Amino acid sequence: MRAMIIKEFRELRRDRRTLGMLIGLPLLLLVIFGYAANFYVSSVKTAVVGPQATVAAAALPSFFDVTVVEPGDGRTDAETLLRDNTVDVVIVTGQLPALALVDGSNLFAAQSIVSVLNKVGTDKVTTEVLYNPELKTSWVMIPAIIGLILTFIGTIVTSIGLVRERETGTLEQLAVMPIKPSAVILGKISPYFLVASIDMVVVTVLGILLFGVPFNGNVLVFALGAALFLFVVLGLGVFISTISQTTGQAIQTAFFFLMPQILLSGMIFPLDAMAAGVRWIGYLLPLTYFTMISQGVMLRGASLTSLWLPFLVLTVMAVVVFTGATLRFRRDLAPGRRRGADTAEIVAGTEVPSAS
Amino acid sequence: MSDPVLVRATRVSRAFGGVPAVDDVSMDVRPGEVVGLLGANGAGKTTLIRLLLGLLPVTAGSVELLGGAPDRERRRHLGYVPQSLGLYRDLTVGENLAFTAQAYGAAPAQLTEALRGSADVLVGDLSLGLQRQVAFLAALAHVPQVLVLDEPTSGVDPLARAALWDTIREQADRGTGVLVTTHYMQEAAQCDRLLLMSRARLVAQGSEADIVGDTAAAAVRTDDWAAAFAALNAAGEPVMLAGRDVRVADSDVDHLRAVLAAAGIAAEVVAVAATIEERMMVLARETPGAVG
Repeated sequence: MRAMIIKEFRELRRDRRTLGMLIGLPLLLLVIFGYAANFYVSSVKTAVVGPQATVAAAALPSFFDVTVVEPGDGRTDAETLLRDNTVDVVIVTGQLPALALVDGSNLFAAQSIVSVLNKVGTDKVTTEVLYNPELKTSWVMIPAIIGLILTFIGTIVTSIGLVRERETGTLEQLAVMPIKPSAVILGKISPYFLVASIDMVVVTVLGILLFGVPFNGNVLVFALGAALFLFVVLGLGVFISTISQTTGQAIQTAFFFLMPQILLSGMIFPLDAMAAGVRWIGYLLPLTYFTMISQGVMLRGASLTSLWLPFLVLTVMAVVVFTGATLRFRRDLAPGRRRGADTAEIVAGTEVPSAS
Repeated sequence: MSDPVLVRATRVSRAFGGVPAVDDVSMDVRPGEVVGLLGANGAGKTTLIRLLLGLLPVTAGSVELLGGAPDRERRRHLGYVPQSLGLYRDLTVGENLAFTAQAYGAAPAQLTEALRGSADVLVGDLSLGLQRQVAFLAALAHVPQVLVLDEPTSGVDPLARAALWDTIREQADRGTGVLVTTHYMQEAAQCDRLLLMSRARLVAQGSEADIVGDTAAAAVRTDDWAAAFAALNAAGEPVMLAGRDVRVADSDVDHLRAVLAAAGIAAEVVAVAATIEERMMVLARETPGAVG
């Protein structure tokens, strides 16, 4: 048994990915659950409009982080501010009681707002939750889950599909065949793109039919966001395949990419409630931006203009990640271009120099 | 006028992390000939093939395939069966052949007698011998000018191995240049010309008779073959085992008798003709030098 234990430790010491999981994962979970796992939103972005906007803004408790004060605006402008995700709540003054319009698509913030406003008293302010009047969790989760499914197919399934070519030696055969590397890459990725798209449609329709999730926005805006996001996650899948030699390695690596997306994208824990040190990680994750788009379009009916930021970030990510990853994969298919590269064999997928 | 050269390596070297895998190798393959690339595991055969196909960049020297750099267009006229066979195990025989044929713009290959009825069988469910036949069919469907086979008979039973060599010979007879690696030295006789690699270098080339030359060997017959092997090995002799026979290449018979007697081992030592494997061992022990 002693020999077995020693052998196991020796193997473990040389398996950097597993070692990384064993050491990195507990630390990651500690950081996430210590600093990010918080459902309580301590401050919400607030707009105050209407004739008494200035006075009302000054009287609000510190929970309300007033970023917009527009005495000349009314309810219509207030709804625009919410639809564009500029603020979480708008206090409309000029009537008694004042009206608080709450963005129900930001579930945890909305719950906190309703709770605080209830304590203020209905004689001073009445509350109206827009976009998710009953504050249903399923309404905000399903748009995010669509992104999670796309992430799963894009990273794990795609990377496995590509690594399998390397594992079985068929990548070498593809490199010899008169097929352009771009055709190989597109041929490999297209089925996953198609399957992911079908999955997305099915989940969206089922979400609408089974859970009554509304689809208030433009389908084309949603489809554009999903396509951009798919390019990012497919790019991640291709990238993972270029740094993995086996299916097991690909799954391990994909897990590293998937886990933070689930926990830090705002899908489970609200970004606003995370410690600033962890929140920035969330802002580096593509799922964060897809969720902004899917929730925005489905629940708030947000337009392309109001969602310009997540669209811009996803576009940049798609270009950088997809291009970088496919160039790396292309190098595996056309290694002859790298004259004089002093590295191990790429096509064969062996890290150890083979001289057989 | 000499035949055109289909494949040519000129003073090619390739190193991994400073360790040479192919060192200063020059060789060629001409139409209609079967060139055997022999060498022990780790000699550099597969790396040389990957350099010739353009799958690996050279560290020094140059390679030519069909008169130019081994690019995609030239590889269109190449048939390649890698060690791993390059087949999709989760596709059927028919689907594998259709994919390859489509990639090369050729008609799918006709199934051989042994594969008849297996068109709809998953490649992963076939025996290794039949899988190799499928890989051959896939590589030959587009009638290549050059056929490169990396250990094509490895793990195949003798009958299937003979059938595969029949296919190789047929290809050569119709003008295809064949480069085939093997570590089965007995298959050397199937080749028109041999290239012997050892420790990343090309150490000999020519026919089997050319390479073996007048190298002598001795067979040591004894009941205590393990002790005989150990004693001769300790004496620095190039000793090998063929079954339970201890064989020593390129060594004086009387000297061997003396070594065994000194070790107290009763043995009969007789002079025999050296095999190509023994010649290779002798070459490997000598200072490596490129001869190509």
